[in-house]
Amino acid sequence: MRTSTANIASAILTYGFVGLMAFLSVFPFIWMALGATNSSIDIIKGRLAPGEALATNIANFFTLVNVPLVFWNSAKVTIFATVLTLAVSSLAGYGFEIFRSRHRERLYRAMLLTLMIPFAALMIPLFIMMGKMGLINTHIAVVLPTIGSAFIVFYFRQSTKAFPSELRDAAKVDGLKEWQIFLYIYVPVMRSTYAAAFIIVFMTAWNNYLWPLIVLQSNETKTITLVISSLASAYYPDYGVVMVGTILATLPTLAVFFFMQRQFVQGMLGSVK
Amino acid sequence: MSELQLSNVRKSYGGLEVIKGVDLDIKSGEFVVFVGPSGCGKSTLLRMIAGLEEITSGDLTIDDMLMNDVDPSKRGIAMVFQSYALYPHMTVRENMGFALRFAGVPKVEIEKRVMEAANILELGPLLDRKPKQLSGGQRQRVAIGRAIVRHPKIFLFDEPLSNLDAELRVHMRIEIARLHKQLAATIIYVTHDQVEAMTLADKIVVMRAGVVEQVGSPLDLYDDPANLFVAGFIGSPKMNFLKGVIETGDGEVYARLPDYADTKVPVALTHVAPGMPITVGIRPEHFKEQGSASLDLTIDMLEHLGGETFAYARHGNGELVVIETKNGRGLKSGDGIAARFDPACALLFDESGKRLR
Repeated sequence: MRTSTANIASAILTYGFVGLMAFLSVFPFIWMALGATNSSIDIIKGRLAPGEALATNIANFFTLVNVPLVFWNSAKVTIFATVLTLAVSSLAGYGFEIFRSRHRERLYRAMLLTLMIPFAALMIPLFIMMGKMGLINTHIAVVLPTIGSAFIVFYFRQSTKAFPSELRDAAKVDGLKEWQIFLYIYVPVMRSTYAAAFIIVFMTAWNNYLWPLIVLQSNETKTITLVISSLASAYYPDYGVVMVGTILATLPTLAVFFFMQRQFVQGMLGSVK
Repeated sequence: MSELQLSNVRKSYGGLEVIKGVDLDIKSGEFVVFVGPSGCGKSTLLRMIAGLEEITSGDLTIDDMLMNDVDPSKRGIAMVFQSYALYPHMTVRENMGFALRFAGVPKVEIEKRVMEAANILELGPLLDRKPKQLSGGQRQRVAIGRAIVRHPKIFLFDEPLSNLDAELRVHMRIEIARLHKQLAATIIYVTHDQVEAMTLADKIVVMRAGVVEQVGSPLDLYDDPANLFVAGFIGSPKMNFLKGVIETGDGEVYARLPDYADTKVPVALTHVAPGMPITVGIRPEHFKEQGSASLDLTIDMLEHLGGETFAYARHGNGELVVIETKNGRGLKSGDGIAARFDPACALLFDESGKRLR
C-alpha cells in the first residue's frame, strides 16, 4: 500500500515536472504564433488569444522588409558556413582520431581550450583582422570565423572512435588513397553524424546574430536575424510584424530539424552499428 | 599462384619488438596457417605481409620481388578480415566490385568477375542486398567473394571464422577448404583455433611472443614437436607433462618419474647424463591398457563424449593428468586408476623445453 502511494506520488511529480518543461518549451512558439495575429497594442497588453491582424502584419512585414533579399543573404551565409564547417571540422576530427603523432593530444587539448574563450573577447581582434583583409560588410567575413568549430571537431573525433579500423584496412587493400578512404568510405558510413552536425551548424549559422551585427553594415547585406532585431528596436516597434518575421525566420530551422530528426537522433547515438 | 619469402622480418613499436626475426618460405598453392596464443604476433605478421603494417627490418618478397614498401593494393594480395569489413553503404555487388572499379577495370569485366565469384560462393540471390541484410555466414562469404574477384596471387585470412557460431564455423571451414582446392590459391590464414589449423593447413607456423617456434605439416607438429610449447599447443586436450630425471642402471638409460615410484621410461639417447632433469610428455590418447609403464592416479572428473571419455585424474601431489579412453563408461569420479602407457610414445624435453631426440 505504501509502495503504491509512493509510486503515484513519484508519477505525479515526474509528469508535473515534464509537463512544466514542455509548457516552458512550447509557450514561446504559441506566444509567437498568437502574437502574429494580434496588433502591437494587443501584444503589449498581454493578449493571449488569436486576433484579426495577421493579414495586416504580414503585409506590413513585406512592405518594411525586402524579404527575398534578406532570406537570400541568410541562406547564402548559412549554406556556406554549414558546408565549409562540416568539411573542415570532419576532416579535422577524422585526422585527430586516425593519425597518430607525438603532439596530437596536446594540439587537440589546445583546440578544446578555445571553447573557453568567449566570443566577446574575439570580436575586436576579428573585426580588425577582417578590416585589414578588406572584408567588412561582406558575407565572407560572417562565414570565415565560424568554419573552424572546435565543438564540431570534437563531435566528429568522438564519432570517429566508432568508425571500424578494418574498413580503412580493407579500403587500403582495395587500392584507395587516404583522401579516397575519407570521401568514399568515411563520409557515407558516417552520414548520420554528418546529419546531426548539419542540424547543429545550420541552426547556429542561421540564428547567428552578434558577429553579423558587427561586420554587416549595409541593408543590402543584412541577414534575417539583424532585420528582425532592427524591427524590434525601432522607435515605435510593431510587435505584430516582429512576430511574423520571427515565425518566418524560424521556419527553415524547423523544416531542417523535422526532415532530419531521425538522422539527428541516430547521429547522436553513433553512426556505426 | 605465387611464392612468398620472409627473411629475418622484424617489427618494433618504439622500443618494443613484437616480431623478432621471422624466416619463412611459402610455396605456390600452399595453405599456410599461423597459430599461436593471443598476442603472439600472428596477426601483426599477416598485416605486414598485407602492407597494413610497416616492416621495421628484413625482407618480404613475393615472386622474388621485394615488397617491403609496395602499396597493399599492388602486392597482389587480397585480405579477408575477422569482422568482414564490408562497406555498409554498398550492396554486395558493389562491395565485391569496388576494388576493381578503383583499379580501372572495365564495367563489363567487373560484372563478369563478380558473377563468377557469386557463382562459386552461391551469392547470386544476395547481390543487391546491403551487408546489414545478411547473416554472419553470408557476410563472410561476401568478404571472401570480394577477395576472389581481384584474382590475387595470395589470399590472406585474419581469423575469418571467429565471429561465427560453432555450426557455421564448421560449415565455412569446409567451404574454405573447398575453395582452396577449386582456386588452387596460395592462402595464409591466421587463427588461434587449432582445429582450424589442423584441418585446413598444408603447413602450420606455430608462433609465440613474436618468434616462430616450429613450421611443419599438421601431423608432423602433432607427432614430432620441436619443444614443450608446440607439444602443449598442438593437440586437444593438451599433452601431459610429467617431471622426470635421467638415471642409469642394469646397462640401460631411462627417465624415472620421481613422483611415480616405479615408472621408468627407457631413453634411447646418448647425449643425456644421469641426474639430468627432463620433462616427459604423454598425449592423452597414448594411455593404453597394454602399456608397459603406469601411473597410479585418482579420477577427479570425467567427460563422456560418447565415442571416448576424457578422465581428468590426479596424482597425490596434485598433478593433473588427462587420459583418453574408449572404455571409460564404467569409470567414476574418485576411482583409483593405473594409467598404463607405452614408453615408446612418450616424448622427452630438456630443462629449457627443447625436445630431446
